[in-house]
Amino acid sequence: MNTALKIVLGCWLGLVICAALLFPVVPAPQSWNEFPVIPGLGEKARILFFHVPMSWVTVVAFLTSMVFSIRYLRSKETADDLKAVASAGLGLLFCVLATITGSVWAKFNWGSFWNWDPRETSIIVLLLIYGAYFALRSAIPSDEKRAALSAVYAVIAGVTVPFFIFIVPRIIGSLHPEPIVNAEGKVHMNGSMLAVFLCSLAGFTMLFVWMLNIKIRVLRLAHHHSKEGD
Amino acid sequence: MYEFLADHALYTVLLIVLICWAGIFFYLWRLDRKVARLEKDLRQ
Repeated sequence: MNTALKIVLGCWLGLVICAALLFPVVPAPQSWNEFPVIPGLGEKARILFFHVPMSWVTVVAFLTSMVFSIRYLRSKETADDLKAVASAGLGLLFCVLATITGSVWAKFNWGSFWNWDPRETSIIVLLLIYGAYFALRSAIPSDEKRAALSAVYAVIAGVTVPFFIFIVPRIIGSLHPEPIVNAEGKVHMNGSMLAVFLCSLAGFTMLFVWMLNIKIRVLRLAHHHSKEGD
Repeated sequence: MYEFLADHALYTVLLIVLICWAGIFFYLWRLDRKVARLEKDLRQ
């Protein structure tokens, strides 16, 4: 990623945060910079601009990890294994952040940090699945065996991601507000809210791409260094 | 603190934004340490 793009990304995310926090919530929005009142949520609806992108990046990262794992199984290139593990690590980070931000919000909206809501349960299961991925990797000393076994595991784990994130909330009743993932399959937001939300999704996705790029470079360096040492 | 945050939803959202960035910062800090260790090993 070149320097200009990094500066644009920084400004982009700064503007998203400003818009998400400063645009007023009014009962009948008249202007492009006003959000509507969502019944029962009010100002708390602003979490949408941060918590949902965390979950979105989690999905993108885990699916990216699955794609690189499939590539590894076909090519047996160490570079693909490194990309898969870098992406899974970032997915785990964003999954933890989605869990923490959601549970802080739940404390002030539903009265307790944890309610065993279907989506909360889904995300915990995902955390356990990908926690086990790293436990598996650390338990195998041989490089090739570790890469092959964890690639197979990542493919199976990746298949479960859309199920836990998109399907479970649609088939089981949830405490979660449902402006995006709902039984009707429609987005319940006005234009300005949707624009800020999509900008936030795009910004955090680009941030993920940048972080993934850095992580892959570091892992590649570490790998070459360890090979030189052998 | 809890009552203040419960009464001012905007600050709850601000806390959530801070948690997101603190998490990302922590990750980058760990990555930076890893790079520093690698650089040190490569110099030796």
